[in-house]
Amino acid sequence: MADPYEVLGISRQATQEEIRKAYRRLAKDSHPDLHPGDKGAEARFKAIAAAYGILGDEKKRARFDSGEIDASGAERQEPEREFYRQHAEAGPGFKYERRWQRGGPDEDDDLFAQIFGQHRAGTRARGSDVGYTMSVEFAEAVNGAKKRVTMGDGKTLDIAVPAGLQDGQVLRLRGQGRPGPKGGEPGDALVEVHVLPHPIFRRDGNNIRSVLPITPGEALAGATVLAPTVSGPVQLRVPKGSNTGSILRLRGKGVASPHGNGDQLVELRVVLPAHPDEELVRNLTEWEAKHPYDPRKQGDQA
Amino acid sequence: MTDRTIAEKEVIDAVEHLDAQALHRWIELGWVLPHRDGESLLFDASDVARVRLICELHYELRIEEDSLSVVLSLMDQLYEVRCHLNALLSAVDAQPDHVRAGIAARIKGRG
Repeated sequence: MADPYEVLGISRQATQEEIRKAYRRLAKDSHPDLHPGDKGAEARFKAIAAAYGILGDEKKRARFDSGEIDASGAERQEPEREFYRQHAEAGPGFKYERRWQRGGPDEDDDLFAQIFGQHRAGTRARGSDVGYTMSVEFAEAVNGAKKRVTMGDGKTLDIAVPAGLQDGQVLRLRGQGRPGPKGGEPGDALVEVHVLPHPIFRRDGNNIRSVLPITPGEALAGATVLAPTVSGPVQLRVPKGSNTGSILRLRGKGVASPHGNGDQLVELRVVLPAHPDEELVRNLTEWEAKHPYDPRKQGDQA
Repeated sequence: MTDRTIAEKEVIDAVEHLDAQALHRWIELGWVLPHRDGESLLFDASDVARVRLICELHYELRIEEDSLSVVLSLMDQLYEVRCHLNALLSAVDAQPDHVRAGIAARIKGRG
């Protein structure tokens, strides 16, 4: 039986940590489930595991070093183990096949369909699909847009971004993939579209959320102010006595959808002047002294 | 493989290092695909072998979960290709001599 120190390729003075590291490195290179094509992997892995079974345990290692147990004695204790590959190689149709494929199995990608597709379908093979990614501005995704984009591989595509496009949505452009071999139909271009974040607007389903700063005077007395929307600024009536956190709804200013447009939800934020002067500070302090209230206490917001 | 189903507790008892929290996380990640029967999860022998492998890679070989998802995805693709290749090889094997010779000549011609 091979010397466990030799199997792990370490000196007899190696620390337990060095032994663990050597074991991990060798086991990764020889794990039979990770190297199903390597016929020697299982034997190597068993030898490595047996060697580590002795040296990885400080007590067993001491007994081995003192000659109390030998390398083969410990190995016989290892039960015959089952490896994952015995299941995984049982045949096509194994349950973990295609688990890796996002969006579920696609018949066209089946290996046999690729090999025999021509004969099965009775037509020439179709070219393969090509994946691309691109980004659009927030407003383009909401309102829709027509764009001409040159992709990383030099291909120029005319892309109609549909109104209401979601971040990560994939657009299929028929016939813009690779040409079919021997005159077959070309594949499609699959364009994954990312929506760039907007400094003001945020998508919330079919609604759009935004925050609108107003002055304390506008909040207290009410006012009509200009509010940005994805289709341009509109007049917004801020009711008297509004506060930070009040939400005003602009009907139909959200994302277009077949079930009717979403709304824009404008959250008000009362903003003090950046450099408040003496007069403001004095007036407010005097007012607060006469009308004390604690905004941190519920139901006491004067 | 086998029709015998194994309950969650048996799996946790049988596999070294495994706890319920990790097992549930891996199921959530789609790494393990037990059969669901109402509230309970039922595992077959291939699920248990897979859980044992994931434990070994994670707890003994110290492959972090982020990397492990890549490892498992590549491993699943590898096994799928190998299964199909084996099926194809046995189909070739079942062909008459002249067909096999034709295939062999074509492969050599390319290499």
